Amino acid sequence: MEYLVDLAEKILNEALNRGAQDAIVRVQEKVYESIVFDNGILRVCSISRVSGLGLTVFVGGSVGYSYASIVDRDSIPKIVDEAISVAKALEYGSEKRLVGEEVKGARGSYRTEFKVNPFDVDLETKVKLVNNLNNESMKKEGIVSAFTRYGCEIDRKYIVSSFCSKVQVEVVAIGLSHLAVARYGDIVERVGDQKTFIGGYEFIEKFDWSSFVNEINDLAYRASQASTITPGVYQAVVDNELVGLLLHEAFGHASEGDAVYSDLSVLKGRLGQVVASEKVTIVDDGMVSGGYPVPFDDDGIEKKVTYIVKNGVLAGYLNSIVTAKKLGQIPTGNARAQDITFNTIVRQTNFYMLSEDAKVEELFEGIDYGVYLKGRGAGGGQVNPALGTFTFGVGPSYIIRKGEMGELVRSVIVSGNILEVLKNVDMVANDLNVTTSVFGGCGKMGQMVRVGDGGPHVRVKKLVVGSR
Amino acid sequence: MIDIELVVSKAIKKAEELGASEVELHIIEEKEVSVYATSKGVEGARRGTIATADVRIAIGKKVTVQGSVISSENDVLNLVEKAVSIARVVPEDPNWISLPKSCGYTSTFDLIDDRIKALDTNTLTSIIRETLKIPPQVDRRASANEVAINASVIRKWIANTYSTNVITYEKTLFSFIVEVKASEEGYESSYYKYYYAPTFKEFNLETLVKDATTIAISTLKAKPIETGKYSIIFMPSVFAAILRALLVPAVRADQVQKNRSPLAKKLFTKVLSENITIVDDGAAPNMIGSAPFDDEGVPTKRKTVIDKGVLLTYLYDTYTAYIDNQESTGNAVRPGLGSPPTPNATNFIVIPGTKSVEDIIRDSRDVLVVYSTIGEWLSNPVNGNLGATATNAIYYRNGEPVQPVKGITISGNIYKLLNEDFEALSREVELVANMLVPAVCVRNVAVAGERK
Repeated sequence: MEYLVDLAEKILNEALNRGAQDAIVRVQEKVYESIVFDNGILRVCSISRVSGLGLTVFVGGSVGYSYASIVDRDSIPKIVDEAISVAKALEYGSEKRLVGEEVKGARGSYRTEFKVNPFDVDLETKVKLVNNLNNESMKKEGIVSAFTRYGCEIDRKYIVSSFCSKVQVEVVAIGLSHLAVARYGDIVERVGDQKTFIGGYEFIEKFDWSSFVNEINDLAYRASQASTITPGVYQAVVDNELVGLLLHEAFGHASEGDAVYSDLSVLKGRLGQVVASEKVTIVDDGMVSGGYPVPFDDDGIEKKVTYIVKNGVLAGYLNSIVTAKKLGQIPTGNARAQDITFNTIVRQTNFYMLSEDAKVEELFEGIDYGVYLKGRGAGGGQVNPALGTFTFGVGPSYIIRKGEMGELVRSVIVSGNILEVLKNVDMVANDLNVTTSVFGGCGKMGQMVRVGDGGPHVRVKKLVVGSR
Repeated sequence: MIDIELVVSKAIKKAEELGASEVELHIIEEKEVSVYATSKGVEGARRGTIATADVRIAIGKKVTVQGSVISSENDVLNLVEKAVSIARVVPEDPNWISLPKSCGYTSTFDLIDDRIKALDTNTLTSIIRETLKIPPQVDRRASANEVAINASVIRKWIANTYSTNVITYEKTLFSFIVEVKASEEGYESSYYKYYYAPTFKEFNLETLVKDATTIAISTLKAKPIETGKYSIIFMPSVFAAILRALLVPAVRADQVQKNRSPLAKKLFTKVLSENITIVDDGAAPNMIGSAPFDDEGVPTKRKTVIDKGVLLTYLYDTYTAYIDNQESTGNAVRPGLGSPPTPNATNFIVIPGTKSVEDIIRDSRDVLVVYSTIGEWLSNPVNGNLGATATNAIYYRNGEPVQPVKGITISGNIYKLLNEDFEALSREVELVANMLVPAVCVRNVAVAGERK
């Protein structure tokens, strides 16, 4: 990667000399180690590496992007010309700079601190850990299939721009995921979960993985013996994990400046309006504990805490340099790209709801017949941000009867309209929890980036609940 | 530029010198250009080239796959060296027999379109401008919210210990997606259509955009219907998504072998209605899953997976085929860099029925026609349970539209829906990425909507 860093400033200058009014150069190297045991057999043990250089140019009103994995001094003019010709082809015909002095690039660096470099740890040690956990699972009663995975990612970036950005970021994320498939009679159910830390191998060494994997196996087996929920409309308590998923998908995407600008967001034109119950405050925060660190975005802008909803009122949107300009706002440090093959788009970092003061158990009081919706084993979600409609696969959950936890139900999905749901939030607990994952993230427009999400437990007056 | 064929032969030689008993190299170069627009006009474009290499090494039964973006010949050789060192320390895979021993080609048609190879940003931009004009011409309440076009040229090279002559092919890919939004009196709806194929052959811009506009307009003012059991027509794009989420994983041999498929031990038994026949064809003309050989060099094949409701075969790569004492069906697909190939669908083709969608609607007393869903991929392939939320649908009674519908969840088990609850397949088919499918009508689908 070092030789690409050396070339970055040269390319930046070349772009400005060849007609770009502004430019951003991003050098990136992502290394991912993966060890997978599937039904007792090692299926993956690999270290993959993606590296290269990407160039964004601003010409008149247009933005062009070019990238290459094969870069040397001789190929600089080609990369620069491609980006500029792409931008010019868009023919906005304006001589005016799209963005200018108001954009303040960041200077600085961030590096994840760790005690034990995961890549220095003996491969056999890691293989043995995953092998044991997977083999133990396969011996459990009712478990017919198990998939256990170790993952570690080092993402290094170097960004320079004509907006005076010069930032260096190195994030190390490490974790383990487990998927158990259980059978009871003819019923087959699966539950998967993961735990990720930002840091080194010391986190793997001190965490109790055996209990973690056992809980998943146990939940899968109990779920296979559970009945499905009767589809209908329920009063619901939603746990931290599911609140995070719901907010990210159904609200976070609608708060992204590109969606707002292009009429694809249900939140467009609602700044200052009530969009949720007054108990709801939502932020996007680059550096929250438990989340994925995003100190600077991929355009080289500092990521600070952005308030999206304050006490139920829509307070702001997430912006890149480009969407901020188009919406007449300021960049919030939310321009992110999967890797060098993509230009940045507006993305969330760690998007979560803030705590209120209720105790978790108080949320259950007074519910005559409802459902406690759990995130563990959830299947993910999908949303139409233009309309605010969403649907989510929920993990094994519990029926609530007269304020008490009743039986487990499996294969639950929820759907609704996010604005209606957030207005129906009548209690918010005091147990904020934010998490991230080295195994997945957000896949907007085909680009996977790591994100964090979470929140406290919340209670919703009514939710459409179905079965999958 | 790197001379790939030379590098591959050097890399295989090097791995064998280092002690590998088997070596496989898989290299891809992808050149792409793409343009993205919203209703405000063209927003951005990008162009670039990336080359990646995967190397699979076996030392006896110790096997590993390593992958990397490559920028020089040395990157490939270093990757080989690293892979051999890792293969030495990983545990043995008792199921490992060997890499494929008969690599080669199947004849393919409509895999390359020179117009796509020649595409530049200007041409793509003009397609976008044309697209943006159509919706308001069809109906003033409609506009194209998002348009994205991507043209790419992919070249792939594979060689292994048993067939050191590098086999290679080139293919073009063109994708176009448009989302149309309709607004009226505070009501909004949106609908998207796409085209994704190796050539322009079946690309009809005007029809695609007009269809998307018509559905967006006709599903304005949608609301939930009452909770209950309904007959439903899943239009082709929805049916394709359901098959992708539930049936494709269930016929993958790896999933079957790992007890993750409800179709395990069901070979040669009736699993779906006798009206349903499904073919997996790795060399179908103008389909994105087509290629002369699969991702480990085995020639692609056409095979009937479900014949009149009877399950005839699972989809195999070489590794899973050895386990079941079968031959690879040419279905090896690499899910990502550094991952071993796994069996997966190439192109899934559902043989159409005889009635038109219009006739099926007219012949049903009442029926919900579902044009789009979200979340159908949350369905559970280990048991076949479908779960999705309808975002564009219309409820018909006695052949007449009663109301547009959205915000309802749809649940059921596909092995029941596509068997005893099966009603009909339409005669119209649609190309939906790597699937060519008709619409399907099924009964007794559980719908959660308005509180009863």
